[in-house]
Amino acid sequence: MDNHIVEVINVTREVAWLPWAVQYFFLIGLSVGGLLLSLPGYAFAREDWRALGRIALLVALTCGLAAPVALLSDLHQPGRFWHFYVVLRPTSWMWWGSVFIPFYVTGLLVYGWAGFREELQAHGQVDSRLAALYRLASLGGGRNDALIRAAGLFALAGALLVALYTGAEVAVVKARPLWHTPFLPIQFLMTALAGAAGLVLVLNRFAAGNDRAVEVRANRLLAGFLGGVMLAGALWLALGLFGLDSTHAEALGSVAGSEAWRVTAVWAVAATALPFAIAVAKPARTGLLTGLIALHGAWMFRWTVFIGGQTVPKTGAGFYDYALPAGPEGLLGIVGTAGLWLFLLIALTAILPSPRRPAPAPTRAAQAPAGPVAAAE
Amino acid sequence: MDRSRRNFCLGAGAATIGAATVAAMPAAAAPGAVPLRRDGDPAHRWAMVVDVGKCVGCQACTVACIMENDVPENSFRTIVSTYEVTEQGKAGSYMLPRLCNHCEEPPCIPVCPTGATFQRRDGIVVVDNTVCVGCAYCVQACPYDARFINHETQTADKCTFCVHRVEAGLLPACVETCVGGARIFGDLNDPDSAVSTLVRDENPKVLKPEQGTRPRVFYLGLDPRFQGKVDGTPTLWRPSGETHAKKEHA
Ligand code: SF4
Ligand code: SF4
Repeated sequence: MDNHIVEVINVTREVAWLPWAVQYFFLIGLSVGGLLLSLPGYAFAREDWRALGRIALLVALTCGLAAPVALLSDLHQPGRFWHFYVVLRPTSWMWWGSVFIPFYVTGLLVYGWAGFREELQAHGQVDSRLAALYRLASLGGGRNDALIRAAGLFALAGALLVALYTGAEVAVVKARPLWHTPFLPIQFLMTALAGAAGLVLVLNRFAAGNDRAVEVRANRLLAGFLGGVMLAGALWLALGLFGLDSTHAEALGSVAGSEAWRVTAVWAVAATALPFAIAVAKPARTGLLTGLIALHGAWMFRWTVFIGGQTVPKTGAGFYDYALPAGPEGLLGIVGTAGLWLFLLIALTAILPSPRRPAPAPTRAAQAPAGPVAAAE
Repeated sequence: MDRSRRNFCLGAGAATIGAATVAAMPAAAAPGAVPLRRDGDPAHRWAMVVDVGKCVGCQACTVACIMENDVPENSFRTIVSTYEVTEQGKAGSYMLPRLCNHCEEPPCIPVCPTGATFQRRDGIVVVDNTVCVGCAYCVQACPYDARFINHETQTADKCTFCVHRVEAGLLPACVETCVGGARIFGDLNDPDSAVSTLVRDENPKVLKPEQGTRPRVFYLGLDPRFQGKVDGTPTLWRPSGETHAKKEHA
């Protein structure tokens, strides 16, 4: 019974959606997650959610502005992006994305402005050379809950459309069994929410005054989202393992034999279960740890789906090798988008330093050495 | 039966297009819905039958395609996948020429956000590389790994059935060059053509029929073990990793 096949000559198809795409799906997911987390505090004016909502709004804005840059860079002909806008291609989820993204980002910017308007107004009343600019930016007004709510609901509609299209765009690709599952959009959304809660925890520590109440609340939220991630993952696995659904069985079958994929699976479970356990058992003073693990988990999920998914040949035997190139096709894409995001965060927190903290965050000075404004009060 | 490669002749008139990538900016010039099929002569439906038993694995088609279509280094529009098959201790070779199937239901087309990928009315699936943004969505959607990003044009690339040759009444370069006569090209709309006869009489198979793509590249003597993703030890030979080396290319 010595029957086997060795592939002697075949073509290796290189990864065509690059690490830029991983960064895009990661950032846009964090942005959507951040927006959703900001809604209770801002759009629905729940004061107890306000502090968490403010960090979530920072997450939504910084990630939401960096994401389209990553997406554009993933095109091999970025200068032709306008070709999306001179045709109607309703059969293509990517085309819908080109409609939804500007809609979402516009809504997000208006909502972010409306949300931060009271802070802009407050800075405008400080005796500083920049006060006039702040007054201009606030358009002579302050907090307007009706406006914040309207803009928030508008941005929410955009966020839901973005969540829908990013999930569907990948899930419809029947040619890749690993992608072709109705669970994928749900998994994208759940991991995005977990990642956003994670980033809220990290920013709470480094860029927003380390508020204990925010930390505990965000950790509780994180535990809930991670529970959702585990549930979706378990359902997907069950459908595949018990052969209840042929597409899931096929997806599982395409990677089950690979040692590397088994390691990835164990890693993913650990990166979900561990922060879940910590966040449930000790929601205070663990935020940085759970936040970083959750962020890493959200990123790794996308890396595995996109880069890992593309190393499964559609016709050839085994797997394609993938080595991260150092240039713009690889590492530079990851570092570049991360740098852009960091720049946006520094700029935004320099313009809008966290208001009224009992103990000022120690990192404030380092992040905004030439802070253009005096303290908010 | 018009099986001879040299006797192949098209009733079609003079070439109206010069290259695999056709008609400057049709999508951009005419805003609005892009019809799913355009250009080409609907009187024909081009197709290929590959007689696996006649393929000797010489890769002459692979090379002819590269020369004819200026395919960049380390990229392939067609290749003869070659396998060593061991059964009960006896080893043999299995050759499987692969190319774009010019599917009747091509999943690469609806996903294209710009309309750059489209199907001609003669069934040939082409990419207008003046419109393509290189998003690679079509690359993902093709179940046959038939597409790739051409790093000289930075757009999607694939087999075109040598549409420029077909329009001029010639055979695709791979068919023209095949020493074993394993590749047979012709018009499914012509009931007397070699491909029509073979498809009618020989019950050929297609790759991955469960994908519902209805390929128009048919295989005679296709071993079911090679119909989908091949279960075996991965390839021993791969193109070098330096695919993006900037080539001074005309
Ligand atoms: S083989 Fe692939 S690229 Fe060719 S028509 Fe079918 S789906 Fe499209
Ligand atoms: S790479 Fe080009 S042809 Fe392919 S889907 Fe994108 S725009 Fe269309």
